[in-house]
Amino acid sequence: MPRIRIYQEDHIPSPMQKVWQAFADNPFALMGLWAVFCLLTLAVFGPWIAPFSPEQQDPLALLLPPSWDASGTVEHFLGTDDLGRDIFSRLLHGAHLTFGMALAIVLASLVVGFVIGSISGMMKGLKSSILSHLLDALLSIPSLLLAILVVAIMGPGLDNVFWAVGIALTPQFVRAIHQAVHEELQKDYVTAAKLDGANSIQVFWYVIMPNVWETVIIQTTLAISAAILDIAALGFLNLGAQAPSPEWGAMVSQGLDNLLTAPWTVTIPGVAILCSVLAINLVGDGLRSALSPIRN
Amino acid sequence: MGRYLVRRLNLFIATTIALITVLFITTGHFPVERPYALSGIAAPTSTQLQNITDNYQLNGNQLQQFIAYAQTRLGGDLGLSVTSQRPVIEELTQALPASFELAIVAGLIAVLLGVPLGVLASLSKNKVTQHSIMAITLTGYSIPVFWLGLTLSLWFGVELGWLPVSGRINLLYEIPPVTGFMLIDTLLWDSVYRVSAFKDAVFHIILPSITLAVLPFTVVVRITRSAMLTIMEQPYIKAAEARGLHTGTIVLRHALPNALIPVLKNMGLMLGTFASYAMIVEVIFSRQGVGSWLVSGIYQRDYTVIQGGVLGVAMIIIFFSILIEVLHTAYNPLSRKEIYAAN
Repeated sequence: MPRIRIYQEDHIPSPMQKVWQAFADNPFALMGLWAVFCLLTLAVFGPWIAPFSPEQQDPLALLLPPSWDASGTVEHFLGTDDLGRDIFSRLLHGAHLTFGMALAIVLASLVVGFVIGSISGMMKGLKSSILSHLLDALLSIPSLLLAILVVAIMGPGLDNVFWAVGIALTPQFVRAIHQAVHEELQKDYVTAAKLDGANSIQVFWYVIMPNVWETVIIQTTLAISAAILDIAALGFLNLGAQAPSPEWGAMVSQGLDNLLTAPWTVTIPGVAILCSVLAINLVGDGLRSALSPIRN
Repeated sequence: MGRYLVRRLNLFIATTIALITVLFITTGHFPVERPYALSGIAAPTSTQLQNITDNYQLNGNQLQQFIAYAQTRLGGDLGLSVTSQRPVIEELTQALPASFELAIVAGLIAVLLGVPLGVLASLSKNKVTQHSIMAITLTGYSIPVFWLGLTLSLWFGVELGWLPVSGRINLLYEIPPVTGFMLIDTLLWDSVYRVSAFKDAVFHIILPSITLAVLPFTVVVRITRSAMLTIMEQPYIKAAEARGLHTGTIVLRHALPNALIPVLKNMGLMLGTFASYAMIVEVIFSRQGVGSWLVSGIYQRDYTVIQGGVLGVAMIIIFFSILIEVLHTAYNPLSRKEIYAAN
């Protein structure tokens, strides 16, 4: 007996596949995803690809313009800075400082924010209010102020950026996850599960969490772009990565002395930051619109 | 509503206490001696040292020290600046108006340009217009502000020579500070050069405020657009259309007031980032203000300035974010329902 066909398509896509299809329909988002993959590869393998070491100085090629300029050479593809260091190699070496650091910070604050946010979201009354609102308002302090406090105690350095940016990002996760959990908790299907006798841990993990992951994913993409911008800004102000470091923001601040004679020492790292943040934002935007039919 | 306001006030007080606790603990960890970190006097005489010890209860236990610290700080005594040896509170109040001036101008630019553009983006059926507006806003959202500031000053300040790139006003003008807002002070100035001084102040604020406005502008455009898209589908808009109202009336009277509610909410959420950006912009354009004052404070390890500045700025931001939340609730009856439902 032949199989009864209820649906016209044989294969019914799972929710995950639907999200992927909606995401892949948006060419910009897909472009962003490829760019993020490239960035990840560069963050891991950058130091092997780079033709020069980040600190190697070439006294014969000071302030060499990029190769497309008439006086540039292909050896130094993106030109050199005032000490004759190859900008292309420095960018590649800096990728894991800026981009990798951002990922590490976001991961750490995601874990902390997830724990606090879900605990405060599941609780009711004063305790929940204290955990969420207090943290919320207190940590709406700008990341730069936190960085200033951290630097005042521990001195400048890339490690301290981890704390400054991490402390600034955590409340965003707490806020987003708290709100999402809190909203789901009021819905009828949660009450149904409670009536079935599920305890609060079961309600949280098996009932509420599957509906909160989308918020977490979107918040994570937002946080990565914010973290890159923050790390770079602190590097630029000399509060984060220090002078010889090829961190992208620090590279901009090192090029500042030659802004008028050699604008590419500032422009190129800036464009690198812009492109990586843009790629992440494209992915985040694409994800948000792909997930929105599910969320509503 | 009264109960809600009391709760917000409690939140403000609790947050301030938490903030002071954080500052108290960090002050203990500054790599200098405690009396120096608290008062800013590098080599105190024995009477001064006695005074500091009495003021901050340095011989008492941690709790007594904390209470004394909170009392002194909230009483307005932020100590002396290590570098200038002037009271920190005086420097802070001098620097604040300049920062407010920049923030207000940038915020106005963002809202006045962003809301109409967001509405246009939501009404346009043309794919190209929609995509280009979204592309522009996404790029604006991703630009590192320090790099944008440098690039703008390189183009418009140096290569084209149209606009000045540093300071708040040309050094030729000696403006007596009245309100601290340069744009107002120049107009109050009693001199024949009043108008030219005002023009000069306006020219000086253009580049920094545009640099700072890019982030809030993009956020306002995106939020307005998405809010308008949702609202234009609502039944009450259809009802207004059915009554034969003009599209302009529908948008301005019926849709826009509702679309502005999420914009207001997001402005509150954005406040911290906005303040960070404002500080960076002040440093790049070497404008006087809290940002450049604090950043130079950290370069000079001016511990009293760091404490005072962080306390002042953070309290202002917390105050404004709570204020925006209250306004949001006052304007939005839907969120009031939530207050009464919550315990």
